[in-house]
Amino acid sequence: MSEQPPARPVAVDIRGLGIHYDLRLTKRTTIKGSLVGLLRRNRNAPTHFWALRHLDLQMFHGEAIGLIGPNGAGKSTLLLALAGILQPSEGTIAIDGKVSTLLTLGAGFDQELTGRDNIALAGAFLAIDHVEMDRLTPSIIEFADIGPFIDAPVKTYSMGMKARLGFSIATAITPDILLLDEVLGTGDQVFRARSQARVRELITRARVVVLVTHDLSYVTEFCGRAILMEKGQIIHDGDPAETVDLYRRRVRESKLLAEGDAERFAKPAAPTPATP
Amino acid sequence: MATLSEPAAGTQLTPPAHRGIVRLTRDGFGDMTGRWRLVRYIVAADLKRMHADTALGQLWWLLDPILQMLVYYFLFAVIFQRKTPDFLLFLFAAILPWKWFTTTVNNAMNSIVVRQGLIRQVQFPKIVLPAAATVAETFSFAIGLIALAFLFVPYHERLSIWVLAIPLIAVVQLTFSLAVAIILAAANAFYRDVANVMGHLLRLLFYISPALYALWEVPNEGLRTIMLLNPFTVLLTAYRTVTWGTETVHHGTRPDFLALGIWMVISMVLVVVAVAIFKRVEPTFARIL
Repeated sequence: MSEQPPARPVAVDIRGLGIHYDLRLTKRTTIKGSLVGLLRRNRNAPTHFWALRHLDLQMFHGEAIGLIGPNGAGKSTLLLALAGILQPSEGTIAIDGKVSTLLTLGAGFDQELTGRDNIALAGAFLAIDHVEMDRLTPSIIEFADIGPFIDAPVKTYSMGMKARLGFSIATAITPDILLLDEVLGTGDQVFRARSQARVRELITRARVVVLVTHDLSYVTEFCGRAILMEKGQIIHDGDPAETVDLYRRRVRESKLLAEGDAERFAKPAAPTPATP
Repeated sequence: MATLSEPAAGTQLTPPAHRGIVRLTRDGFGDMTGRWRLVRYIVAADLKRMHADTALGQLWWLLDPILQMLVYYFLFAVIFQRKTPDFLLFLFAAILPWKWFTTTVNNAMNSIVVRQGLIRQVQFPKIVLPAAATVAETFSFAIGLIALAFLFVPYHERLSIWVLAIPLIAVVQLTFSLAVAIILAAANAFYRDVANVMGHLLRLLFYISPALYALWEVPNEGLRTIMLLNPFTVLLTAYRTVTWGTETVHHGTRPDFLALGIWMVISMVLVVVAVAIFKRVEPTFARIL
């Protein structure tokens, strides 16, 4: 396979993608809410919210792509769509390869089960052959590096341990397309360095990595391409440094434009105190 | 380099296409059989978790139904001075399968909601969750049958070959429970009220089913006929007939196979409908949870 950009095969081809949420369903989780909604139906109130609309995007083998943008820009929705968790409302996503997700780490673990049991369960959920999973388990445990805790229930784990185990599982299965949502900042310094090395290794194996993060330093450091999203649209797509610059500029502008609203947008730095 | 289980090259994600009931049902059953290993793992996880934090651990599998039976026994035999012969067996034959049904409904109903974190992280057929809850509770029922077997030590004169029909009756109940489990799991994902309503509905269903009493004790004949519309009238009576007997026969005897057959057919239709409805709303789960 050639390393030249024009010759690289397309791994993900998104055309005219739109994803909407039905506000009538998402805003009410009780029957009472729905009944009240029926009675006081405001004819002008929007029933749908388009988290993404008219999105065209191609990703190539060997790319590490950073997705940046303010909260509610549609970054996470895009990741969920790539993972097949959210079905497109319109448009298509063509994917060449197996997708692995690493979204909010550890949220999927069964608290009562041991780390080891959770590895097996995760394998079953991800539809990985159990023979393959048995083969991978030792390396997953080794990389997670949580010692004897592997045989203790996950509810006894610290956040960092859960994150390490989750990261270890998601990256052990060598996915063709790896989706990471705010995960590189987790764990201690040592694990962070190792996880970064692992992501680099995955990238060099001609896999696609899509990284959603609020820590812009990761984007410039890791990614060969960055995409800035706002309100479900792609604003800019290109060189990471350039895109990050543009994002910072836009954040400053919106700050000046709407001082009152600034709080909402002024979170380019990660909420966790990430020391570069 | 690792070889992947599924060379999923060329996956195409598109908006959900409109599928008819046949297609939906076939997809749903395909999910359950195709991901049988996943169902097994979830069942194992559920079973492991059930009494994980208790000192007596696995013993609770037996203690739970026995203690529940003793509560009712105390109420009816001691306080109300009920004269039904071999009352303990009479009671247990119906309480045990009823407990199986309520725990199945409760666990299946919450199966989608408790794994919402996972549903937003991994793409997998969600129907395995209520299916696994149903299977897990079936194990717990099977262990309860051991307690029932012990009851035949004092009541051995009631034991007959018909006790072997229990698995047959259980299949009818399992089919009916699976339909209810699948429907309620989906409904509860949309409206959490379902769980609250079901708590009361199940209690009502229990009292209108012949569990604490027998069908022949209902004085009004018209009422008895109406009660046959309740599957648990047929099921609980059948369990009791093969273990305890009837008003006139004082040992296990032949159950009403016609009524059981009718409910088997109805339950199978219900499962098809439930699976189709579940598959229809499944893509919405990740958006609303």
